[in-house]
Amino acid sequence: MGKTLFEKIWDAHVVIEKENNPSLIYVDRHLVHEVTSPQAFEGLRLNNRTVRRPDLTIATMDHNVPTKDRGLPILDQTSAIQIHTLEKNCKEFGIQLFDMNSPNQGIVHVIGPQLGITLPGTTIVCGDSHTSTHGAFGALAFGIGTSEVEHVLASQTLWMEKPKSFEIRVEGKRKNPHAVTAKDIIMSIIKNIGTAGGAGTIVEYSGQGVSDLSMEQRMTICNMSIEGGARAGLIAPDEKTFDYLRNRKYTPKNYESLVEYWRENLKTESDAKFDKTFTLRIDNIAPQVSWGTNPSMTCDVTEHVPFPEDYSKGDQNQKKSAERALEYMDLKSGTPITEIKIDRVFIGSCTNARLEDLVEASKVIKGQKVAKNVQAMVVPGSQMVKKEAEELGIDKIFIDANFEWRESGCSMCLGMNPDILSPGERCASTSNRNFEGRQGVGGRTHLVSPVMAAAAALEGHFVDVRQLDWD
Amino acid sequence: MKGNVIKYERDNIDTDVIIPGQYLKIHDYAELATHAMEGLDPNFHSKVKEGDFILSGRNFGCGSSREHAPIALSHSGIKAVLALSFARIFYRNAVDGAFLLPIEIDEDTYQSISENDEIDIDISSNEIKNITKNQTYKMKPFSEIIGKIIDAGGLFKYKAD
Repeated sequence: MGKTLFEKIWDAHVVIEKENNPSLIYVDRHLVHEVTSPQAFEGLRLNNRTVRRPDLTIATMDHNVPTKDRGLPILDQTSAIQIHTLEKNCKEFGIQLFDMNSPNQGIVHVIGPQLGITLPGTTIVCGDSHTSTHGAFGALAFGIGTSEVEHVLASQTLWMEKPKSFEIRVEGKRKNPHAVTAKDIIMSIIKNIGTAGGAGTIVEYSGQGVSDLSMEQRMTICNMSIEGGARAGLIAPDEKTFDYLRNRKYTPKNYESLVEYWRENLKTESDAKFDKTFTLRIDNIAPQVSWGTNPSMTCDVTEHVPFPEDYSKGDQNQKKSAERALEYMDLKSGTPITEIKIDRVFIGSCTNARLEDLVEASKVIKGQKVAKNVQAMVVPGSQMVKKEAEELGIDKIFIDANFEWRESGCSMCLGMNPDILSPGERCASTSNRNFEGRQGVGGRTHLVSPVMAAAAALEGHFVDVRQLDWD
Repeated sequence: MKGNVIKYERDNIDTDVIIPGQYLKIHDYAELATHAMEGLDPNFHSKVKEGDFILSGRNFGCGSSREHAPIALSHSGIKAVLALSFARIFYRNAVDGAFLLPIEIDEDTYQSISENDEIDIDISSNEIKNITKNQTYKMKPFSEIIGKIIDAGGLFKYKAD
């Protein structure tokens, strides 16, 4: 029986494998940021250990960084300490750091591919669950906790139980690929499989619906694998992948010979078997809007806020979760999604803050203004994205429409920097999690695509972006 | 392991409610613990006692890879979380750092145990005794691999056979 892509990458990285023991897996790239690394470096110091492969370890600061007034000292003292601690640790252990003033700074999952650090067939870890993003390049990439960060720093390896494999086939063609985006595909998948549907698995996304996507769109898909419970999401590399990575800052010198090898080897064999499969047809899917407090609580923009009993299909826990979600979100069952008014719009995060996301959103708002009472912001995923967008004049389109145009970082995705919602505020957000308090205590998050967020900014409530005159 | 149960009857308790993002900058674990579960239950810190257990539904600990989540619970005094299922990163973090035991239980056990029940967990026999109700349940045994890491006292102390 043939092997899946995941099995091939796994087998190529096994250092020790014994029955009824975890396997020791080699790590090709370790990405580090300021929030989940301080205790790991402290652990190294306490045990007189060094970083085994500083040359394979790359750091940036993204979670805490302010997205405006970068020239001024950081006001929040605890954030300043975390940022300075990362600077100190990288200096002491000889790790390359893209700090707040670097032109390469940005969200760790945006800069990895942009710099050519992310490569097909490699293993990539980071103390962040959205490390799954890098799987779009056919890398086995997953989030780890701080104890594991320390283990990787010290040994460049990780103990791991071999996960199961899960194929998600995306079949068909979208009728309007500008309005129905990769975000809508992955949200539809999570709506169907649930928040734990991929638990214990590595997902491989396949089918025409996936191969049709650009690399940036594929990253959106793999990014949210974790919201469906999977450890990682993978897409087999193809010519689009190889073209994207050619001539990046850290693209290896022997790139073309690597491409030859990848083209030949990095795919699931036709007779390979997955432990689990799911197929989504996308011919008729609509733009998605989340209504609840986890990403599976999602519906079409044309639908109504559901009744808990319909959502739960007889499951008592699910019913209680839905009731609590509606209470937290201050929504009434039966309300059309397009009647939900919003206060804030956030276009950003490792899910949807790449150049293409910003370009698409800018087409929706060009020449128009953000609705009165709505505060809207764009936070590019990296300083490189920001620069590229500014070269295209995208910043002006947003600024003219009364969006704020910020410096790069995680920003309002996770409420641990100055960009937060106030209690009760409702936000159309292109991020990945709508958990209670995620964007600030009492804040209410609706997950949407960049074009849906842009459209909501103009109208002050959700609208079906397919019905707007744009593009 | 004896203690009282704090029960949250819901699925998908995520790491953002276990320890909200604004506290991820706190490095003092005792202080971190004062904010445990704050996103869901602001009274948690005043009611939790050393040795208590949390009981909840499916997919406990979903979301972020922040190890602060099991650390905050552990430093609040929580020795084990009993749930219908766990998100994998939370499960690994709990075991790797030897912060607390993630124990999988079945639906009947979940229904039978109530808030404040005193229970006694014996991982050598995979049994949970409900002292308050005088009942005994089976927990799902740890896999051989996880059991070895737990016995070793965490990832760094574990060595392959």
